[in-house]
Parts: sequence; structure tokens; C-alpha cells
Amino acid sequence: MKLDKCAINPVGLAVRIGGLQLKNPVMTASGTFGYGQEFAPFCDLKRLGAIVLKGLSLEPRPGNPSPRIMETPCGMLNAVGLQNIGVRAFIAEKMPYLRQIDVAVIANIFGETVDEYRRIAEILSHVDGVDGIEVNISCPNVKKGGIAFGANPDVAADITQKVRGETDLPMIVKLTPNVTDITEIAMAVEAAGADAVSLINTLTGMSVDIERRRPHLANITGGLSGPAVKPVALRMVWQAVHSLKIPVIGIGGISTADDALEFLIAGATAIEIGTANFINPSVTMKVIDGIEEYMTRHGIGRIDELIGSLITDPQQ
Amino acid sequence: MKTSREHPSMVDGEVIGNVEVSPNHFRLTLRLPGTFSTPSPGQFVMIRDLERREPLLPRPLSVYGFHREGGYAILVLLYRVAGLGTSLFSRLRSKAFLNVLGPLGRGFSVDCDVRRVILVAGGVGVAPLTFLLREGYSQTNASGKTQTTAYVGARTAELLTGLDRLESFCDLRIATNDGSAGHQGLVTDLVRSDLNGCNPEETFIYGCGPAAMIRSLGLLVRKTAIRCEVSIEERMACGIGACLGCAVAITDGKGLSDYQRVCKEGPVFNILDISPVFFSNE
Repeated sequence: MKLDKCAINPVGLAVRIGGLQLKNPVMTASGTFGYGQEFAPFCDLKRLGAIVLKGLSLEPRPGNPSPRIMETPCGMLNAVGLQNIGVRAFIAEKMPYLRQIDVAVIANIFGETVDEYRRIAEILSHVDGVDGIEVNISCPNVKKGGIAFGANPDVAADITQKVRGETDLPMIVKLTPNVTDITEIAMAVEAAGADAVSLINTLTGMSVDIERRRPHLANITGGLSGPAVKPVALRMVWQAVHSLKIPVIGIGGISTADDALEFLIAGATAIEIGTANFINPSVTMKVIDGIEEYMTRHGIGRIDELIGSLITDPQQ
Repeated sequence: MKTSREHPSMVDGEVIGNVEVSPNHFRLTLRLPGTFSTPSPGQFVMIRDLERREPLLPRPLSVYGFHREGGYAILVLLYRVAGLGTSLFSRLRSKAFLNVLGPLGRGFSVDCDVRRVILVAGGVGVAPLTFLLREGYSQTNASGKTQTTAYVGARTAELLTGLDRLESFCDLRIATNDGSAGHQGLVTDLVRSDLNGCNPEETFIYGCGPAAMIRSLGLLVRKTAIRCEVSIEERMACGIGACLGCAVAITDGKGLSDYQRVCKEGPVFNILDISPVFFSNE
């Protein structure tokens, strides 16, 4: 007789990010999952821990010229340029669909000025169906924004504080890896009122077409993502976990349940899957199944027992 | 009206043929589960070898042929070996499996009231146009209602690909850059000389090929009132509208332009909607 595995051994996958309870630690990374609906043919969206939406700005942004992407060894560079429909069109056109799905929805926001961050947060905190805000202070693509905000602890804290002043929604601050010491920025945003941090955003990179002696990307530089960045991301997540009290969400090259488990064991409370969604649009489902299977195999009843369980003492 | 979009799915496809039809050009035949939706002409699939971590991203390929057989869906693709991904595909033998995501994108409009269909292909650009001709215009061609001419260009004779699947369905005109077959020069030169006398109301031009070919086709069409749709290529990661990597600049004709996704709003566009910016990377 075939037994329903969920019925025999229901493992506890729920995690908490600030005031937000997630069904499981598997989230989607901003910019890799559209506004959710694109993935409905391939995923049971309500099984996800959370959907983190494509980054929103106050006004629509056209994005960068093509070519915008380039595959590199075990990864890809992108310079999409934060193309999006703007926060108001998002609320009118995309939210009605998302409200029908029983899944946590986290809006990712960015601005060109500190005040713009504050204004988007103000708008979104009154939108039915938005369960949390992820603040992108790190995107390296936009010359005026991105890197300047996220690389400086004072500016990062300032944005965090301004957004905090506008919203009671759980607030995640997404950090850039393009800094000397990520713990310095992480501690600054924690002190300024962030409920959680997520890291890493893409690493700034470049690729050259030697035959034509031109950059492969129209923008010249772009953000590197995919399996190539995973060890760097894991190291930074581990460092952040050890310097913060708030939850850390791990992002960077996660493509399998094994990858996700590495981050959870290193101390991440949840993880976001990014580039892997492009390779297999139902990868998130496989990762959730794989985490559950691992916990069953190791007799771990609740995911809290797994998070941060890394053994670093050689005597142990 | 553009052809309607079927529901995409992701399936494993078994290689049942992978033949080198001309130097570096392969015709790949895959047997898919019968649940796979029927693609419209101009739609594409994303394919990837699941056994490998490299290359990371799937490769977009236009549908070249499709039929159903014994409960299976048979998908035929035509590709040129251009890099790591296609080079690995070229080494696949029967019984190998590839992951197939599709059908994707928006295909060609088919207008059964037109009397003259003109296909303009460069290199492997014959693939979606052959599928269009066989799926969209085979009946009107057979009844004599439409007359189809395919203009196919390549750098040299041996790179002309896929003529066998076209010639029984239409008049074929060839151009090669070096004159080793057909007209010496550009395929669009041939089209230009034949456009005189076409009734714009009753003619439809379809194109697929390198950006330079699309650009000169656009310059030709601009001077006429003939409808023209082209399938274009851009680097893409996901194929389903999420990565926004495959942006193409679209113009409203008044100088304003906006980006659309080749994978979602395309890969087929009205040629007059494509901004000249698209061709600046060539």
C-alpha cells in the first residue's frame, strides 16, 4: 500500500521573518520570478514560502538597451536596468491576481533618492495583499542608485529608517556583496529597524567579446548570479548570521535542495531562489520537496532544529 | 490577428534523430509526451541537457516541424552550431534526453485571404518559415488560392539549409554572398526586384534571419504598404517573460520607443514596429 508521506511524517517547515509567518523557507528572488503569474503554469504558487516580486520604483522604468544578459561559466551577467511598470501600475494590474493566491507576497522596492524609497513604502504599506517589503539598496545596475546606497552604512541606515517610518509591514533589507565588510552594513540596517536582511544581490562583473573587442553587455558591466556566486554568498550569509540578531535570508546560486540546506545549516532562516528559476521554472517545488525529504531522512521534526546547526568545532 | 498561444509545459524529450543537414547545421527530432501543446508557427521552445551543469541556460530554438504520432508529439528543430550549447546538442545521439519547455512566445499571423506569400530567410531562419508555410498556408497553396515564394540566402552554397522541406511547397529563389548558388548578393536584392507589381492588400511577407537581413527587409517594406512580420533573435535566459533579458526596442513611429520581450510579446513582430536601435548591435 502506498502511503502519503505527508500524512506519516509531517515535518515542520514554517519559519518566521519579523511578524511574517512563512509556510516554508523557500522564497523567490526579486527579478527572477516576474510578478508570480508567469510561473503559474509550472509551480503551485501557494506552496511557496513567499513570492518576492520584481523590483518596483515610483515611476515606470524602461530599463537598459540590449544585450542585457550574457552567460558566463556557471552563471550569468545581467544588466536589465531595473525595468518595471512602476508601483501604481503594479497595484492596479498585478495585485488582483496575487490576492487570489494563498501565498505571502513581498514587494521589492528601490528608488533613486532616499525620499523615493520612503514614498513607495508609504504607498505599498496600505495595499491589501502585500505582506512584506524587501528594500533593494544594492542593485549595481543603476549608476545613480544601487551601489551608492548599499555600500555606505550611514546611507543604508538612513533608507532603512525612512522606510521603517512609513510601514509596519515586515521589512527586509537586501544587501549588496560589493563591499569590503558586509557585516558593517548589516549591523547598520539592523540598528535602523530592519526586521531581516537578505543577501547577496549580484556581484558586479564584466565580459568581453574578443572578436569584436566590445563588452558583451550594452551596459558594459552587469550583475553576476547563478551557481558561480554560491560559495561567496554562503560565506557572507554565515558572517551576517554571526553579527546579527535579526533573521538572515540567504540568496546566491541556490539551484537544488542541497544548496538551500547549506544556507539553512549555515544559519539562514530562509532562502531565495533566483537564476535557477530561469533554468527550470518549477525548481522551487523541487527544493521544497528536497528539504522535506532531507528532514525526514535525518529525523528532524522542525526546521528550527536545522537552521544554524553548522558544526565548526573540530572536537565536536 | 496573431495566432493564439497554447499552454506551455516542461517535458523530457527523447532524441530520435539528429542529422547534420549541411556543415554545422543539424536537424534535431525529439519525441515528447502527447500532453505537449501544439505549437503555432513562429513559436519556439527552450531546450537544455539536464545531465549537464554547463551551459547553465537553456537555448531558444524555433519550431521547424511538429506532428503527432502514436500518442507522442514529434518536435523537429533546426539549429546551427554557434557556441557551447549547440555544440553539445550536435553530439547527441538517439536515446539521449533533452528537457523541452514550450511552446513559447507569440507566432506569425496567418491570413488565408492573401494571394501571395513571400518568405525571406537567412541561414537557419528557414526553420520557423517552413513551419509557417506547412501549417498556415498548405491548404491555400494546394488549392492554388495562394502562391508562395521563398527567398533563401546564405553566405555560400553549402550553408544553404532546409531547402528540401521548402521546395515542394513553393517557388524557391536562392541568393549567396559569393555567388556559389543562385543570385550573387543579398537575398533582399531578389525580394526587391520581385516586389514590383505586388498588390499590397493581397500580399504578406514573413522574414527570419540575421539582424542585417531584417534591417534591409525593413527598408524595403517601409516603401510599400505590404504587411511584414519577422521573427527575431535576442539572448534570453528564461523564455517565459521573467528575466527581461531579451528586450527589443519597439517604436510607436513617432520617435518614442519602449522595450518589449522577444520571448513573450515576440519572437514575431511587425517589422515596422522594431526600432532602428535593434540593429545597432550588428
